[in-house]
Amino acid sequence: MVDAMRPEGDAGTVILVDDEEMVVSALEGLLQLETSYRVLSFTSPVEALEAVERERPEAIVSDFMMPGMDGIEFLERARALDPTSTRILLTGYADRDNAIQAINRVGLYHYLEKPWDNARFMLVVQNGVERAWLFRQLDERITELDSANEELHAMRRRLLRTFL
Amino acid sequence: MALDDRSSSQELEKALAENRELRSENEALREARRELEVGLEELRAAEAEVVNNAKLASLGSLVAGVAHEMNTPLGSLHAGHDTFRRALTRLQEILADERVDPEELDEVRRIVKAVENVARTQDLAFERLTRIVAELRTFGRPDGAEVAMVDLHEGLESTLAILAHELRRGIAVERRFGEIPPVECHPHRLNQVFMNLMVNAIHAMEGGGTLTLRTSASGNEVSVAVRDTGSGIAEADLKRIFDAGFTTKQERRGMGLGLLISRQIVHQHGGRLEVQSRPGEGSVFTVTVPVRLPAGAATAGGGYDGREEARP
Repeated sequence: MVDAMRPEGDAGTVILVDDEEMVVSALEGLLQLETSYRVLSFTSPVEALEAVERERPEAIVSDFMMPGMDGIEFLERARALDPTSTRILLTGYADRDNAIQAINRVGLYHYLEKPWDNARFMLVVQNGVERAWLFRQLDERITELDSANEELHAMRRRLLRTFL
Repeated sequence: MALDDRSSSQELEKALAENRELRSENEALREARRELEVGLEELRAAEAEVVNNAKLASLGSLVAGVAHEMNTPLGSLHAGHDTFRRALTRLQEILADERVDPEELDEVRRIVKAVENVARTQDLAFERLTRIVAELRTFGRPDGAEVAMVDLHEGLESTLAILAHELRRGIAVERRFGEIPPVECHPHRLNQVFMNLMVNAIHAMEGGGTLTLRTSASGNEVSVAVRDTGSGIAEADLKRIFDAGFTTKQERRGMGLGLLISRQIVHQHGGRLEVQSRPGEGSVFTVTVPVRLPAGAATAGGGYDGREEARP
C-alpha cells in the first residue's frame, strides 16, 4: 500500500556525494541500470546540500572523507533540512571507527565500507528509499490525524456551545 | 783473501738470512693485508645491509601508501566492471528478442546511459592508476648512477603525489616555487632526500598543519626548503639529528637513518643540508646544491648504495 502514496511515475530520488568522481559515476551507472530512481550525483558536499533542500531525495549516500566538509557534517546538515530522508554513509576501511562513532549524531540508516559490493549497495539503497516513503507516509497520516483531531475538537466545542 | 772470503761468505749468509726474514715478514704483512681486506669487505657488506634495511623500511611505508592510493580506483573499477557485465547481459537479452518494440528501445537508451557512466568511472580509474605507476617509476629509477639535468619541481611534485594519502589528513601543502634552472644530479637520490624530509615534516604535524615547499636559485646554487608547522626539534636534539640511529619517533617508524642518508646524498652532490627549528613552531630543512655536479661526484659512487660499493 506504500506505493499508493507515490506520485505516478516517481520511483524516488537518490543523491550521491563523493569527492572522487570515479566513485559517483560508478554508483550512478549502477542505479541507472538496475533501478528507476532519479539519481543526482555530486563531488561537492555544498552543492549536494543545495540539491537536498531543492529535491527532497528519499535516500542520500555520502562519502566520509571529503575536503571542506566531511560526510558526518554533510549528513547532519542534510538531516536538519529533511529528517525523513534516509542517510547512508560510504566509508573507507581506515575511517570505520570514526564513522561508527558518528552514527548516532546523524541518525544514520546504514554505513557501507569501500570497496563496496554492488548488490549489497543496491539492497541498502532500495530499503532506504522504501523506508523514507514509509516515514513520509506516516508523517502525512499523523498530520491528517492531527487535523482530524483538531476538527473533532472544534466540532465538540461547537456542539457544546449549541446545546449548553 | 781467505779471511775476506770467509767474511764475505758470512755477510752473504747474513744477507740471505735477512732476506729470508724480510720475505717471511712480507708474507705476514701480505697475510695481514688480506685479513684487513676481508674485514673491510665485511664492513662494507654490513654498511650496505644497514642502509638497505633503512631503505626497505622507508620502502615499506611507501608501498603501503601506494597500495592505499590504488584502493579507490581499483574498487571503482571493480564496481564498474560488475555494472558493465549486468548491462551487457541486458542488452544481449533485448537483442536476442526478435520482436523488439519501441518501448524496448527506451530501455536500451537507459542502459547506454548507465554504461556511459561506468565508462567514465573506468577512464578516471585507469588514468589514476597509470599516474600512480608513472610516479613510482620516476621516483625509483632502478639505475642509481644515472645523472640527468632535471627540473627539481618535478621531483617535488612526484614525491607529493606519492605522499598524497599521508597529506590528506589535515595537512595543507603550500608551493612557493621560484624560478630555478635545471640541476645536474642523480634524480632518484635527490627524490629520496625530498621524500625523507617531507615524511619527517608530516610526522612532526600529527595534529595537522602546513607543509611549505620553497625553491629558489642564487648564483650557481639551487635551494629547496621543506618547512613544517609541527612540533619542532628541541635544542639538545638538534645536534644529534644527523647521528646514525637517532630517532624521536615513537613507533620506530624508521631506523633513524633518514637524515644521515639524506645528508650523505646532498654532500655527494657537492651541496649542504641545513636545519632551523623552534620547539612548538616547526622546522625547516634546506637542501642547497650546485647547478652542476662537482667534478668526480658523478662517478664517485654513493657510499650508501650497495651495488656501487661492490664495484672494484
